Amino acid sequence: MKHLISFEDKVILITGASAGIGQATAILLSNLGAKLILLATNEEKLINTMELLSGGGHHYFCYNLANLENIESKIKEIINIGGKIDGFVNCVGVRSRRPISLLTPKEIRNLMDINFGSFIEIVRCITKKGNFNSGLSIVGVSSIAAQAGGVSVTAYAASKAAVESAVRCLSKELAPKNIRLNTVVPAQINTPEYANLLNMNGGVDNVLNRQYLGLGEAVDVANAIAFLLSPASKFITGISLPVDGGYLSS
Amino acid sequence: MINTMDLTNKKILVVGASSETGEAIVNQLLGLSAFVVMLDHVEEKLVNIANKYNLNKLAFNCFNIYNNQEIEKGIKHLNTLYGPFDGLVFCGGKGGVRPLQLTKNSFIHDMMNDNLYSFVEIARCITKKGCFNNGGSIVAISSVSSIKGLKSKIAYSASKAALDASVRGMASELSDKKIRVNSILKGWVTSDMKLDFIQDNMELSKNEDFAKQILGVIEPNEIANTVCFLLSDLTKTITGTAILHDGGYSL
Repeated sequence: MKHLISFEDKVILITGASAGIGQATAILLSNLGAKLILLATNEEKLINTMELLSGGGHHYFCYNLANLENIESKIKEIINIGGKIDGFVNCVGVRSRRPISLLTPKEIRNLMDINFGSFIEIVRCITKKGNFNSGLSIVGVSSIAAQAGGVSVTAYAASKAAVESAVRCLSKELAPKNIRLNTVVPAQINTPEYANLLNMNGGVDNVLNRQYLGLGEAVDVANAIAFLLSPASKFITGISLPVDGGYLSS
Repeated sequence: MINTMDLTNKKILVVGASSETGEAIVNQLLGLSAFVVMLDHVEEKLVNIANKYNLNKLAFNCFNIYNNQEIEKGIKHLNTLYGPFDGLVFCGGKGGVRPLQLTKNSFIHDMMNDNLYSFVEIARCITKKGCFNNGGSIVAISSVSSIKGLKSKIAYSASKAALDASVRGMASELSDKKIRVNSILKGWVTSDMKLDFIQDNMELSKNEDFAKQILGVIEPNEIANTVCFLLSDLTKTITGTAILHDGGYSL
């Protein structure tokens, strides 16, 4: 049988790999033959993810991506150890719920730095000559918040919309280097972050009324990421692929 | 290594299978171990395709898929022969380039009939009780024309936009039956280019539309990859979506 999605000996960098969608993506891609480089802040959780991977040749690095200034040197270190990059999945995404009365410039700036700035900085660094292999595919994890309104998620939604917009621009800019970029757009996904959200709202989630296929699982998003990362989608670039159980179209 | 796009035990109906894109989809589905039933209105082409492959996994049937009077009976016959389906791919329909002054009602009607009415009628018939399995997936081939303005493609663009809208409504309604519905907005595919070259009598090098597709021209098997992705269980939370597969055309 054909294998349309395979990452045999491909080097894939995943940020935010210690939990949720990032962890599910790491597990899936390792099952599909990838050599992974995992990046996150929490070493204990990263080691936990490493233990769940198949195959060998994986590496992990602890780094807080809020520190934009030192990303370049960290990427150099990563490539020296892990090799040239074939794929990059950005699963970093800090959720923030703040009503407008509490949404100070500092709050917005901090969120944009981690959710948007770090993504752009990593893309800038890994797309330098000698840091990637031809056919590099980049997938960012966005959110339905980027395309639909939500109460008290102004900064989070703006940061995700910024990622989607940048991906469209970078797709055009980097196409001559044979680099593709896309985003996946998940709705509500069964992750530890979602459980926290649900607790804060007393167990009520109105989004699911429109998400008519019900709550998604992290592996559902990982499957879409794997497709966009693989050569099976080599003529798809600059798109935002909803993994939303029907939310955005309903 | 696992194969995440395994379509073993899935029975897929490919409508419009005799086109180049249709054949590429059939080829890819067979490679992923699906059982494929090809449907189109020109038998000779289906026979030619069938002769290239292993008949154990491939069947074909022929009736006029653009005649709404024939569809209900035809689909019923297919269900009698093969039982319930797990997937439907609609890659039928037609293209057409006409300036506004030649876009009369009869031309629009023909375009709507082939690109929209036949799809909705086939979907209506095949999703009747006992005809389509829970967890099944419907994929319609649409076009980037549905969201971008193209000269002299008024009727075609409108029909594809209508197709996408029908997909959204259908997705919502059929979710109760655990059936997913999506469309693919394809850009310039090699086979379309041949068609439009004849219709337009334009030289490709002078075609500004083509230059917008920054990744170059798409081969039919690339579209087939996305069709298989949407038919597979990898996309069980994706429905009501129009996926751009346009090599960057719409950017």
